[in-house]
Amino acid sequence: MNNNQNISIIAISQSDLVLTGLFEILKGSEASEVILLHRIDELIDYPALNGHILILATSEEQEKSNLFIRQILTSTQNIHFMTLRLNSDSVYSNQTINLFDAPALICYKVNEIINSFVFSQHKEVDTELTRREIEVLQLLTKGYSNKEIADQLFVSTHTVISHRKNISEKTGIKSASGLTMYAILKKIIDVTDINPDELI
Amino acid sequence: MELFNENSKLASVIHRDHSLLPVINRLGIKLGFGDKTIRNICEEKGIDLNFFVETINVFHYEAYFPEKRLLDFPISMVIDYLIKTHQYYKEYLIPENDRLIELFLSASPDENTENELVRKFYTKFKEEFVIHINFEEREMFPFILELNAVIENPKLRDRFTQKYPSFSISSFEKEHSNMDDKMDDLTNIIIKYLPPNYDQNRGNAFLANLFMFEKDLKNHSRIEDHILIPKVKQLEKKLVSYE
Repeated sequence: MNNNQNISIIAISQSDLVLTGLFEILKGSEASEVILLHRIDELIDYPALNGHILILATSEEQEKSNLFIRQILTSTQNIHFMTLRLNSDSVYSNQTINLFDAPALICYKVNEIINSFVFSQHKEVDTELTRREIEVLQLLTKGYSNKEIADQLFVSTHTVISHRKNISEKTGIKSASGLTMYAILKKIIDVTDINPDELI
Repeated sequence: MELFNENSKLASVIHRDHSLLPVINRLGIKLGFGDKTIRNICEEKGIDLNFFVETINVFHYEAYFPEKRLLDFPISMVIDYLIKTHQYYKEYLIPENDRLIELFLSASPDENTENELVRKFYTKFKEEFVIHINFEEREMFPFILELNAVIENPKLRDRFTQKYPSFSISSFEKEHSNMDDKMDDLTNIIIKYLPPNYDQNRGNAFLANLFMFEKDLKNHSRIEDHILIPKVKQLEKKLVSYE
C-alpha cells in the first residue's frame, strides 16, 4: 500500500501506559500518523484533520463522544471506531483490541480496517498515471485553474479535483510546484511549454 | 523508549541521542560539561529546569506528549526558544543546505535541465520558508507577547483589541502543514524521481542534511502546535472572559 494516503489513528485513553504502548505497537501499522489523546475534548486542537480516521477508544468513551467527534472533524472523509477493551477478558472481534492481544494481531486488525478504507475509495494501487490524469497534470502545470481545466476537458470541476487527488496519491507529491517538477522530470511536459520560473 | 529527567547526566543524554546537540545549544548549553547532571547545569546557567527536560523529551521521543504542567511556563520562554531555533535555521542549517546542494549539483555529470529544476525548486522552498519564519517573528510572536501582557495587565486590553480586532491564533495553523508538504515533496522528488546519473556521495550528504532539517522542523512544529498554540488559546479564552 502506498503511504501517501492520509490515514490517522487517534488513540484515546486516560492512561499514558496504554497510549505509549499503543503508539509503539502501531508503528507496525499502515497509518500515516498516530495521535494520542487523554480525553476526547482535546480533539478540538485538530480541526483540520482530513482523510481517513480510525479512532481507538473504550466503548464508554465512544458512546459519549460519537456525536462530538463528528461535529469537530468536519473535513474528514471517513471515521471508523475500534473498541479498546482494557479488562482482562477478551472479545474475539476484528473491531476490538483486547488488553492481551499480541502486537502483530493488533496491527493486523488495524491494517484490515485501514485497507478497507482505501480500497473502498479507489481500487488501483497502480502508481502509473492514467491518460486522463496526465492531461489534467499538463494543464495544471500550465497554470490553469480547476475550473479552466474542467471546461477544456468537458468535465465537472468536481472530477478535476478528484483527478488531482489521485495524482497526488500516486506520485506522493502535493504542492503545485512539486507536481510541475515531477511532470518535467517524467517528460510529461516540455520545459519550453511553460515558464518554470513562474510555476516552480 | 527511555525518557530523560533532571538527574540524567547530560553526557549520556547526548550519547544516546546526538540529534539533541543543536537543541541544547539553543537552550544555552555548549559541550564540555563533564559528568554534570541536567539539574546541575540548569542551576549553573539559570535555565528553567522543567522547560529544559520537557523540550529535550519532546525532541527525543515522538510519542512524548508533555503534561499539563508544560503549560505553566512563561510564554516568553517558549518564544525565546523558538526564535533561537529560527536563528539556527537561518544562520546555519539553510546555508549548509545551500552549500551541500551546490556541491551535489555541480558534481552531477551533465549540467542539464534536471539540475536546474532541483535548484529552482529548492530555492523557492527556501525563500518561502524564510518568509514564513520571518512572518512568525514579526507578526505572530509579537501578537502572542502582547496578548500575554494584556492578561497580566488588563488595563492594556482596549489598546490590544484595537490593534488586533479580529486576530486569532487559529489563522496561523494552516500555514504550517503547507511548509511540511513542500518539504515532503522535495525529499520525495529527489528520492523517487531524480535521474540516476548523479553523484551518490554528495547526493547522500545533501539528503542527510535535508532529513536533519526535516526532523528538526517537525519537532519545531510540534512545540508550536502542542505547547505554544494551546497556551495561546488559553490566553484567548481568558481575554474573552474579561469582556
